[in-house]
Amino acid sequence: MITKKDVDQLRNITGKENVLTTVEEMVAYSYDATNWSHMPEAVVFPTDAEQISGILRYANDNEIPVTPRGGGTNVSGGSIPIKGGIVLCTTRMNKIVDINKNNLNAMVEPGVVLQDFQAALAKEGLFFPPDPQSFAGCTMGGVVAENSGGPSCLKYGVTKQYVLGLEVVLADGRIVKLGGLTPKNRTGYELMMLFTGSEGTLGIISKITLRLLPKTTANKTIVAVFGDVAEAGETVSAIIAGSVLPSKVEFVDNWTFDKFRGLLPDKILDNSQVILLIQVDGLPETVAAETEEILEVCKSSARDVRVAEDPAEAEKYWQARTAHFSDISSRTHTIVNEDVSVPRDRIADFIRISQESAKKYDVPISFAGHVGDGNFHPVVLSDNRDKEHFERALKCVDEIIETAISLGGVLSGEHGIGLEKQRFLKKAMDPVAIDIMKQIKGLLDPKHILNPGKIWEESPNE
Amino acid sequence: MNSSVKFEQINRFEDDLDKCTKCGFCMSYCPVYQEEKVESSVARGKLMMVRALLDGKLTLTDEMAEQLNKCTLCMTCVQNCPASTQLPAVVTAARADKVKHKGLRFPYNFIYRWLLPRRRLFGYAVRIVSWFQGIFMPKTQGTIRHLSMFLSALGKGRHIPQIAPKFLRQLIPEVNKPPEGVKTTCTVGYFTGCMTDFVFPETGKKIVNFLTKNGVEVIVPRGQGCCGAPVFLGAGDFDTGRKMADSNVRAFRDVDYIITDCATCASAMKDYVKYLADTPEKIREYTEYSEKIKDITEFLVDNLNLPPSAYKVAEEFNGKKVTWHEPCHLGRYLGVKEQPRKILKSLPDIEYIEMPDADRCCGMAGTFSVNFYDLSQKIADKKTDSIDSTRADIVVTDCPGCQIQLIDGITRKQMPQKVLHIMDLFE
Repeated sequence: MITKKDVDQLRNITGKENVLTTVEEMVAYSYDATNWSHMPEAVVFPTDAEQISGILRYANDNEIPVTPRGGGTNVSGGSIPIKGGIVLCTTRMNKIVDINKNNLNAMVEPGVVLQDFQAALAKEGLFFPPDPQSFAGCTMGGVVAENSGGPSCLKYGVTKQYVLGLEVVLADGRIVKLGGLTPKNRTGYELMMLFTGSEGTLGIISKITLRLLPKTTANKTIVAVFGDVAEAGETVSAIIAGSVLPSKVEFVDNWTFDKFRGLLPDKILDNSQVILLIQVDGLPETVAAETEEILEVCKSSARDVRVAEDPAEAEKYWQARTAHFSDISSRTHTIVNEDVSVPRDRIADFIRISQESAKKYDVPISFAGHVGDGNFHPVVLSDNRDKEHFERALKCVDEIIETAISLGGVLSGEHGIGLEKQRFLKKAMDPVAIDIMKQIKGLLDPKHILNPGKIWEESPNE
Repeated sequence: MNSSVKFEQINRFEDDLDKCTKCGFCMSYCPVYQEEKVESSVARGKLMMVRALLDGKLTLTDEMAEQLNKCTLCMTCVQNCPASTQLPAVVTAARADKVKHKGLRFPYNFIYRWLLPRRRLFGYAVRIVSWFQGIFMPKTQGTIRHLSMFLSALGKGRHIPQIAPKFLRQLIPEVNKPPEGVKTTCTVGYFTGCMTDFVFPETGKKIVNFLTKNGVEVIVPRGQGCCGAPVFLGAGDFDTGRKMADSNVRAFRDVDYIITDCATCASAMKDYVKYLADTPEKIREYTEYSEKIKDITEFLVDNLNLPPSAYKVAEEFNGKKVTWHEPCHLGRYLGVKEQPRKILKSLPDIEYIEMPDADRCCGMAGTFSVNFYDLSQKIADKKTDSIDSTRADIVVTDCPGCQIQLIDGITRKQMPQKVLHIMDLFE
C-alpha cells in the first residue's frame, strides 16, 4: 500500500502537479487496449531522467511496484499495473531532442507520440519505418520497450533494427547510457538490445537514439480481392518468392469488407473472402516497374486487382485496414486477439486449420495481419459475460497458437507477452531461455519492482 | 447498488460506452488531452470512468463532476473513432445524472433554473451587469454569451466584448417583410440566441436585412428564449432544459424554417429530441422542431440557392484577406462544412484563405471556458497560431461563442485580426 508519506516523497521529486492520486484518475490509468485492468495507487509524470531515477530509488528502497506507461495503447497488458503501486507515465517527456539529417539519426524522449515523430521526420525528408497500428497514440518508449512492428516491417524490419542508443534508468536508480550515435558499434555486449523488447521489466527508457532512412519519394497501393483464403495465401507466397520486395502486404478477411464498400464494387465484395493490400515504394521509376510485376502475380488468381489512382484513394484503403481491430472489437463485447507469426509458406495452412478450430468450438473468427511477414492477428469474437462461450473462445485460441507453433511459427510476432500471452510462454519458449531471462531480471531488478507480474507466470515461491 | 435506477440517463447510452475498445486513437485528436496529456481528459478515460460509475467502483463525487466537465464536446474524437463511440452523449448523460442526484450549486442553480429561462429578466440582469463591465475587466468590441460566464469570467482577465447599448429585440420588429418591389418567396422564423440579442445585435440586423432583401419574410417571435445549451448540455439540468425547449417549440410553431446564426444554438436545439424527449408526444414535437432548423449559411446556399450577385460585401471589407473558423457545432454536429466556404470563395471583393485545421475546436465550449479558463486559453492559442499563419485581416465564423473566444485569444496575443460573424461581411 502506498502511504501519504510515499505520495509526499513522490511530489518532492516531480512537483505536486505531476502526481495523481484520486480514485477517478486511478481508474483512468487502470487499463490499456486489452481487457485487463487493475488500478494503480499513484500516477507519476517525471519530466527528466533524474526524476525517474529519484522515483525508482525511492520505490526500490520501499519495494513499491512501478509500472511504466506511455500512451497505454499496447495489446498485451504490458502497461497494466497488475500489482498496484505506481504508474510511471512518460507522456510529459515528449521532446524530440534532435533530428540529424547528416547522420541519419534522431534522439527522442520516451513520451514522444510515434505519429508526431513521423510527421517531424517527414518535414526533413526522413523516415522511421516501424508503424504499429496504434501510431496515433503510442509513444516511442513503448515502441522500443515492446520492439514494435507493423505493416512496413516486411521490407524494413522491426524497431530493434533501428535502435542505436538508449539511456536507461535501472531499478536502483542508476542512469546508464548504452550504444551510441553510429550505425556500427561493436563495443562489448549489445546491451541496449536487452532493454529493447524488455516490456518495461528491466529498466525505464529515458532517451532513445534511432537510426533513420531517407524518405522514399514514391509509392503505389495495389488492392487484390480473392475468392478464398488459399488463393490469397498462395499469391503472398508467390510475391515473396518473386523479385520484388513490397514495403507492405496486408491481409483482411470479409469481416472488414464493410469498410471497403464504396471503394470496391459490391458485386465483387459480396462473393469474396480476402483482400490483400500491397504497397511498393522507392523511386518513381522502380515503383512503376514493381507495380507491374505485382499486378502480374496477382492477376492469375485474384477476382479483382486495382492500383489506387492517387494518394487520397490509397489512404482510404489503408484507413479501412487500420480500422479492422476497432471495427471487430465494436461488434462484440469481448474479443480475444492473437499475434502469432508463421513461416510464409504455411500461411494458407495456418488459416485453414484455424478456421477448422473455430468451427469445432463454434466461435466466430476474423483474420487480419501483416501477412507479408507471416504475422497474423486472428481475432475470436466472444462475450466474457457468457462464461461458457468465453471458455470455448479461449480453447479455440489455445488451439490456434498450438497450430502456429507446430507450423514452425512463434507465439507473438509484435505485441509482446505482457499478461495476455504468459500462459503460453512455457509451450513457446525453451525452458533454459526462460531461466536465463529470469536470471537477468534478478540481476537488474532483484526486488522485482519493475513491471512485476509480466512475461512469465509467477510460480508460488516468487 | 442498483445502477439501473441510479443512472437513468447514462443507461440510455450504455451501448456507446461498450463500443469503446480503448485503442487510444482519441488521444491524438482530443484538444484537451493535447494540452494536458492526462488519460482522464480523453474520451477513453472518461468512458472508463463512467463505466466504473455504473459498476459501482466510482461515485458521483465533485472530482468526478470535474472530470466530466473537462470536455468541450467538440466531437473530434467521435469523428475519428474507429468504433464511432459517442463520447458527448455519455458525458452529457453523466452530467444529467449528477444534477439529478446532487443538484446544482450556487450561482448556477440561480442562473440556470431561474434567470436564463426568463428572457426579459435575463436581459435586465445583463444590462445591470454591463454597467460594471468596465470596472472589472478589459473591454473589447462585442458582447457576452451567457450571464453565468460573464460573472465567472470577472477577475480572470478575459477580454469580453461590451454589452450592446440596445438589444436586438429592441431594434427590430417581430415581423419583417421584404421591401416594396421585392416578392415574398417564403417566411422563416429567426432564432436570435442570447448572444446576438445582447452582444451582437448588429449581426442580427444584417441577417434580417439580407433575408428580406432577398424575398424572405422574417418573423422574430418574442416568445423565444435561450436555446438551453448551457443548461442541459453544459450543466446537465434536463428538467429546466425541457422547459426552455418547450417554450421555443411554442414560439416557432407557425413557421416552416427556423434560421439561426449560432451553430451552438442550432445543434443544441436539434439535440432536444436526443436528450430531453421523455414522452412519445415530446419525441414527435422535438423531431418536427429539429427538422425546421437551418443554419443561416445552409439556408442561403441549399434552400435559397442565391446567385453570387446576391452577396454584396460591405465596402469597408473590400480587398481584405478573410479566413474562416469552422465551429465544432457547425461542421461536426450539423454537417455544414461546404456552404460557408462556398459563399466565401464566391466573393470577388475579398481574398479567401483557408487556415490550417480550420475545424479544430477553439476551446470556448460555453461553461467549459469558465470552469477551465487556463486550459481554454491554451486550446485557443493553437487556433490563433493557425489564424496568424494565414496573415488574414479578418476571421469570420458562424457562432458568437467562438467569436468571443477568438476575440479574447487575438487580443491577448495582440494580433491585428478583426473577428466577425460571416454575415457581418455583407451590406
